[in-house]
Amino acid sequence: MALLRMSEVQKSFGQVVALAGVDFELEAGEVHALVGENGAGKSTLMKILAGVQPPDSGSMVLADRPVRFASVNEAQAHGIVMVYQELALVPSLSVAENLFLGKLPPLVGHAALIRRARERLAEVELSLDPGSEVGRLGIGERQLIEIARALAREGRILVLDEPTAALSASESERLFGIIAKVKAAGVGIVYISHRLEEVFRVADRVTVLRDGQRVGTRRVAETSADEIVQLMVGKSVRRHHRAARGEERTLGTFEAAGPNLEPLSIDLSAGEIVGLAGVIGSGRERILPTLFGLEGSASWGGAPLRSPRDAIRRGIVLVPSDRKTQGLVLDLSVQENVSLSTLPRLQRLGFMDARRERAQTRHWIERLSLRPPHPHKPVFELSGGNQQKVVIAKTLATEPKVLLLDEPTRGVDVGARAELYDVIDGLSQRGLGLLLSSSDTEELIGLCDRILVFRGGRVVTELPSPFVYEEVVAHVTGAHQLA
Amino acid sequence: MSPARINWREVFARFGLVMALVALVAILSLLSDRFLTPSNVVNVLRQISINAIIACGMTVVIIGRGIDLSVGSLLALTGVVGAGLAVGGLPAGFAILAALALGTALGTFNGLFVAYAGIAPFIVTLAGLTIFRGAALAYTDGRPITGLPPLFLTLGSGTFLGLPAPIWLMLAFLLVTHVILRFTALGRAVYAIGGNEEAARLSGIPVRRVKAFTFAYSGLAAALAAMVLNGRLNSAQPSAGVMFELDAIAAVVVGGTSLFGGRGGVFGTLVGALIIGVINNGMNLLNVPSFYQQIVKGGVILAALLIERIVATRRT
Repeated sequence: MALLRMSEVQKSFGQVVALAGVDFELEAGEVHALVGENGAGKSTLMKILAGVQPPDSGSMVLADRPVRFASVNEAQAHGIVMVYQELALVPSLSVAENLFLGKLPPLVGHAALIRRARERLAEVELSLDPGSEVGRLGIGERQLIEIARALAREGRILVLDEPTAALSASESERLFGIIAKVKAAGVGIVYISHRLEEVFRVADRVTVLRDGQRVGTRRVAETSADEIVQLMVGKSVRRHHRAARGEERTLGTFEAAGPNLEPLSIDLSAGEIVGLAGVIGSGRERILPTLFGLEGSASWGGAPLRSPRDAIRRGIVLVPSDRKTQGLVLDLSVQENVSLSTLPRLQRLGFMDARRERAQTRHWIERLSLRPPHPHKPVFELSGGNQQKVVIAKTLATEPKVLLLDEPTRGVDVGARAELYDVIDGLSQRGLGLLLSSSDTEELIGLCDRILVFRGGRVVTELPSPFVYEEVVAHVTGAHQLA
Repeated sequence: MSPARINWREVFARFGLVMALVALVAILSLLSDRFLTPSNVVNVLRQISINAIIACGMTVVIIGRGIDLSVGSLLALTGVVGAGLAVGGLPAGFAILAALALGTALGTFNGLFVAYAGIAPFIVTLAGLTIFRGAALAYTDGRPITGLPPLFLTLGSGTFLGLPAPIWLMLAFLLVTHVILRFTALGRAVYAIGGNEEAARLSGIPVRRVKAFTFAYSGLAAALAAMVLNGRLNSAQPSAGVMFELDAIAAVVVGGTSLFGGRGGVFGTLVGALIIGVINNGMNLLNVPSFYQQIVKGGVILAALLIERIVATRRT
């Protein structure tokens, strides 16, 4: 008898079909891995399970009883607990207080709380002082506390979303130990991961999603990493072709190192697009912020890059991964945002040169076909794709030599995405050097001249064009090592 | 929605403040026939001039997502130092320039702590509030300075084209502040930092320098207000300006500048200062006891913020 049975679950966001009738089953005491490329529908499926979003149609049966969750609280009351990638702990409270947050009776004795917390921590073999402040703990320990908290809520089903992304090797080992214990206690675990070596280590079964559909469920003992990669990739269709490039002119060499990044160097030629691939926690997501002078240490052509100002002055600009918090001032207009990086050169005798500013904005609105083409619209009224164009316009207005693109199409719909690809391609034609960091393999394959694959804070492979989809996915997920 | 229909939400968001002021003036002119007379209008403008000048500086700080609690004490300190220098024999013009420079320097002192040491503006300027007051009392030994030279009096009670000097100074300072905020790269940077400091930094804007500037400018504004106050009182008081920071903040927020930064402007602040000034004046004319006046003033501030909260177009 299955603990959980989800059948024919459908979910659409506007025109985009996230789940096109997916079945999923979980037994008590089973670890069931959920894998698939970005956008395959893993997160959506789990959000439906956890009551974050309602499905459009389909049914859920939990322990033989049909259920439907209107809220996260309702799902939790049924023992379904999700541990998110982004941690949801209160840093200023103690470990014990966090463990029972929201579940505390009105009056709690300090001693009793500490005692109960210690019991919970013992269950997951965490030897931590329950009285210590969560903010002082490492990210790995916090992740383990989250899992302890999930269990403190008497979970029957535990959903772990990329749980090892922030963990060190030894912390990952502890996590696997905890998973084994929890599993032995009869809890069903859904394990979402991009790392196939982990999937093959901890899971009993694995379900592969692709484009909102279940393409297969296998017993781990009866499948191979190659087969899983095949299922994830499907028939590889290349949607974007990159024109062959002519002469090579070297622009320079980046050097970078940081806390979670071993020293590395990247040579960049004019017109070249270098892809950076790797799962979260591989070090890939740290490269571009490092090169832009935000963390760690970096240099370009031998001279250090200490700050964003430094980088911009030397012709290196960043399109950051989160445009709303890092890229745009949402209350300001399109024009005001486009001008942000070029304020010094847009002034004359200390005043803004209104004519030049208008001309610059109009130029970029046209060149990137921004819609609607209104320079005075506040950017928070634009769609995701058009907001991203504003960020790109802002960076290009500085006339850079090197463009760093961090997840440029995150949260951008399909049509706008194709347009952004054309823009990126066009920039390389004009002789810019580009570094493209992305968790979307198809995007990397379609746009790049070569791809650097990261794992454990360093480059493990460099793949030259033309790429084989399966091969890239195999390297990124670590399936390559298992074969 | 048909295009011909008026978007009332939009109309209120843009002109609600002016409409409130107009309504207030209309009501008061019905209640008192002394209210809408030329002499009383000039009177109101002169009464708000000091607060409006301070509030201009405060507007710049608040748009940059800061706050400056030290302005009242800073006014007292620059006032007594300027007066002291003049009485001590320095030519009056130089004494006034020295006081303005001192105000800018003290504001910069606040700004450096905020921008480079990363201490919250509230705390830094709270410290400034007591330090500057203490310094003003120490400098004068707690006694007012009298016998100011004629130039000081001109700033406070001279007239030009029929209007008192404080009104001209207020209008000039409003205009300068408006030009800085709207027509210079510096002003643009202040809005950007207040709206999203991280994005401003990643865009290459010198965030710390710009933040320090906002506090320096607020210091300059308070020093200018000190000169006007000296002239009006014909003396410099070390105890001047107590609670002025709250009046200035009230004018700014009633004027529609967001305490969360990135939005607003000095014309709103002028209207905010006018609303508060008109209410004070009207209640005086109507002989409302001063205890009740305070209650009404606080109520108006709350009401203004509540209305802003309701009509503000929320972003997605």
